[in-house]
Amino acid sequence: MTNRRAWVAVALLSSLLAACGGASDGDQSSKVKFTKLVSFGDSLSDVGSYATPALVASTGGGKYTVNGASAKIWVEQLSATLGLGAVCAAQTGLQSSGPLAALAAPTTNVAGCFGYAQGGARVTQLVGPANKAVLAFGDTSGYLGQLTDPVINQLNRHLAASGGSYSGTELVLVLAGGNDVFINLGAVAAGAATPTAAVTAMGVAGAELAGYVKALVLAKGAKYVVVVNLPDVSKTPFAYGTPAATQGLIQTMSSTFNAQLKAGLTGTAAVQVDAFTQSQNQATNPAQYGVTNATATACDLTKATLGSLGCSAATLVAGDVSHYQFADTVHPTPFGYQLLAEYVATQMAIAGWL
Amino acid sequence: MNRALPVACLADIKSSAIKPNAVAALCALAAALSCQPATAQTAGQWLVALGINEISPQVKSGDLSPPSLPGTRIDVRSARAPILTVVKMLTDNWSVEGFAGLAYKHEIVGAGAIQGVGRLGSVKAISPTVLLQYRFLAPTDGFRPYLGIGPSYAHFFDERGSATLTALSQPGSVATRMKIDDALGLSMQVGANFKLNERWFLDASVIKTLLKTTTTLSTGQKLDAKLDPVSTNFSVGYRF
Repeated sequence: MTNRRAWVAVALLSSLLAACGGASDGDQSSKVKFTKLVSFGDSLSDVGSYATPALVASTGGGKYTVNGASAKIWVEQLSATLGLGAVCAAQTGLQSSGPLAALAAPTTNVAGCFGYAQGGARVTQLVGPANKAVLAFGDTSGYLGQLTDPVINQLNRHLAASGGSYSGTELVLVLAGGNDVFINLGAVAAGAATPTAAVTAMGVAGAELAGYVKALVLAKGAKYVVVVNLPDVSKTPFAYGTPAATQGLIQTMSSTFNAQLKAGLTGTAAVQVDAFTQSQNQATNPAQYGVTNATATACDLTKATLGSLGCSAATLVAGDVSHYQFADTVHPTPFGYQLLAEYVATQMAIAGWL
Repeated sequence: MNRALPVACLADIKSSAIKPNAVAALCALAAALSCQPATAQTAGQWLVALGINEISPQVKSGDLSPPSLPGTRIDVRSARAPILTVVKMLTDNWSVEGFAGLAYKHEIVGAGAIQGVGRLGSVKAISPTVLLQYRFLAPTDGFRPYLGIGPSYAHFFDERGSATLTALSQPGSVATRMKIDDALGLSMQVGANFKLNERWFLDASVIKTLLKTTTTLSTGQKLDAKLDPVSTNFSVGYRF
């Protein structure tokens, strides 16, 4: 009886305390206990492949956004919220030359780092924007010398570094295709390809990416794979600066890539995230997403001459740009990346992973 | 929140003390104090009932304010808890009922544009209620349906977020918290009383409460929702 009274007293007391409790964080651990984050793709997911000491020192940049001490891109935001810590670049270096030669650094594979995504990387083709090889075509962006190791190579490098397979507890993120748009569009502009050929090439790239994800990720034991499709590149300041017909072509190139990507991944365990539709919604209704400017760039590109890769607080346009969508003509600000991270997280939650 | 605290804590004291032995002791004490012979539900009587209550919110959620996916909404899952009901018969037909339960713990899940994301968090609630009731038929009848109406004060506390709430609102930043405002609502009751013998009875009622509240996230976003819960309860009671 004494015990029972004591129990009642304890219950009463704890109930009193509970009734007076305030808000708290709650359980912040995800349902799936991921062991690491592995990311493949291009500049949209690049966590610092080209953040060479000289580039960081001269520009305060290193990632394709408005750089800063707390600036994170979507991959880093997801990693942090999942408690997986910082994501580091799996390969670093820069093959700069000419006026940018001082930025160069040797190509180095970094053990224990799984951020494979590289600025300029395409799905299959070796040469992407600002690769040193484009200098041969008179494209001076090549002075920057981005490595642009394509996704196919990134996937194979990871397998080589991981004993040929995935453990099954990695969160794998894939987002690519933008640089296939830029290179194919460049070919159309140069008269080297027809618009139809450019669209066809995008479909091929999309199908290839789906095939790589199946053969080199899912078939190798990865269970938690997120494939983000290509945002609508026609809804960027880059495209807004082109004629309407070109914008239409860019949109068709983006959607054709996505259609093949989707078709190839249907029926697989990969979670597909429709960033294409999201980017259109954000462009149509920016205020709903908290975006204050969806068309102008946060970076003053007369100062940030490398684009967002070399953009930091010192090279911004005047005013509050914290909720601009774009840092430069194609890359999001940290807030723009947050919107992507939130949407990816939503799909991960629906998949039952969070 | 603080304003509601005394009522809330008092309600919990009452209901926490409910153990079978304690109830028996209470009833015995009450019976000892009450010297008049028992008749059923007559003026001046007290009815005390202990039972189980399920609160099932019928949520009509507004949209989470920007920045958010258009149509981001919530749903609130049902919860059960023991309930202690005290009725004072004012006349043979009019009565006043008061009750409070232990805290109900409700899960808050995504709906609308984020349908399927699962648990966003949880909240505990207590809603002390006072109802003015009219009981049909005569005090001696074995079956007495009744209607009631009165105010409910919903006190929400111990709101907890989740990994999903944080990931959907500010991934990579600090954990997102939420605060749900207390609210005053109107409750309407339909119930019936079944006499077992002169002292003991069964009671069942359904209560619809009109209740609106606002949830505020630590990110500054707000969401208005009509909770409009339906409460269904079954109790065993003793009159004295």
